[in-house]
Amino acid sequence: MIPDITIYGEFSVLDLLRVLLILFAAIIIAKGITINLKRVLKDRISKDHLEIINKVVYWGIFLIAILTVLPVFGVNLSGLLVAGGIAGIVLGIASQSVVGNLIAGLFLVIERPMKIGQSVNIAGTAGVVEDIRIISTTIRTFEGLYVRIPNEKVFTTDITNYVEHVARRLEYRVGIQYSDDADKAIEIIHRLYEEHPLTLRNPAPDLFVDNLGDNAVEIVVRIWVPSTEWYGVKKELLWKIKTALEEQGIEIAFPQRTVWFANEPQKRELEGAEDPSMH
Amino acid sequence: MFGHYTIPLEISAAGISLTIEREGGGFRYRSACNGATVEKLLLTRAGAVLINPVEPLHRPKELTTTLLIELEKTLVVEPATTKTVFLTFPIEIGVFITTNENVEVLDIFTLLPQKFTLYGDPRSGMICKYWQSKISATVPTTVNPLLEGVIQLRINNTTSDWVNITRAVFNAYTMKIYYNERLVAMRATMKIQLRNLAETTFTDEPLEQGMAKSLELYTARKLQVPLAKFVMEAGL
Repeated sequence: MIPDITIYGEFSVLDLLRVLLILFAAIIIAKGITINLKRVLKDRISKDHLEIINKVVYWGIFLIAILTVLPVFGVNLSGLLVAGGIAGIVLGIASQSVVGNLIAGLFLVIERPMKIGQSVNIAGTAGVVEDIRIISTTIRTFEGLYVRIPNEKVFTTDITNYVEHVARRLEYRVGIQYSDDADKAIEIIHRLYEEHPLTLRNPAPDLFVDNLGDNAVEIVVRIWVPSTEWYGVKKELLWKIKTALEEQGIEIAFPQRTVWFANEPQKRELEGAEDPSMH
Repeated sequence: MFGHYTIPLEISAAGISLTIEREGGGFRYRSACNGATVEKLLLTRAGAVLINPVEPLHRPKELTTTLLIELEKTLVVEPATTKTVFLTFPIEIGVFITTNENVEVLDIFTLLPQKFTLYGDPRSGMICKYWQSKISATVPTTVNPLLEGVIQLRINNTTSDWVNITRAVFNAYTMKIYYNERLVAMRATMKIQLRNLAETTFTDEPLEQGMAKSLELYTARKLQVPLAKFVMEAGL
């Protein structure tokens, strides 16, 4: 029969068909996996990195297929396995941090705690995410500095994302004098909140006297704004509160001490002494 | 105020001042509204201007494509019934310059104070343009078309429960605004599917005969229109 016909040594037509079938199946599987990977990851990582991952996966599957068919050609893989094992140990020890960063990078792609363009704080470094690569993440700080953070550090540290949620709360503490009317101050601040277009109607603001401090009656002002407008409103609103209060005769308190004497100080009248305030 | 004009042009009405005057080889556009002024130079030999009400989501900033109308009073709707009410919505006025088939937005302004609100929670909700409206059983007759428009809202309660409605949320980019000299209006439908879930859509039909259709901003800007309905998932 045709399948039993030998081509070279003990290598028959059947063996050739088996090899071709395995390689063909490997190509189909590799293609299928890379197409699905592209579909799943195309919105999550950049095109360049996706191409690299796809190539690694494709040729990795093909390499496994080659190793599977080599024994058919009479190649003994046991020696290769031992050498490969030793090489793997050496490479593994040498590249453990790189592999750690790579795996952390893949988990960051899956978990997506942040996206490119978002303002974040990673382990005390605050800025805008410029790129999320396989090994590292780059941040442009608010001072314009370039900071590269290994993905292992990004993955294992606290990440504060300032804009992931659509709304964010702004808080001020405004201290007024004890002699001023706190209800009136709260009413003035509330009116400012109503008039400002970027302070949200809902959730409603929270304005109340929070503390009777040493120097002032402290009013806490908590207002929600869209996350994208938070910084602009923060810069603008506090001074508006101050000027609006002062226009209505409410002073912002500054540190002061009222001194009470235990005994009235003794007054001495000097005969013929001039009034010192006249000079 | 609303309608087609040729340039040069001068309009002044109800706190709005708008001029397009010849300057050199082109024109100078100036507008003033509520203390805010806009000035642009138009490099064109001729053209026409269209002024009409537009989707109210551009001022003071384009932060959202949704409009949330909070009802002054709670509406309680009978099960398995369809009722119609009339609400108001805020007007923004768009100024377009047109030459041949090309249209460009020159300016957008409004006479009304602006406010935004959050629909849903800070994590999964959305920022909406906010407006509070009275509810009428008939078309309100006292609305100023430069300030407020009228929405005929057909509420279809498909559930077997009484439903309380305190607000209506609309996708502003699917608005179909019609106008005449005394009224700006739209027709919309709210289909209540569960006690806390409803869909809102607009109907492309004028409220009265003879109304002109507004040039929609997504047409002028050649934007891709999102879904034609809005699903109110965060409650009524």
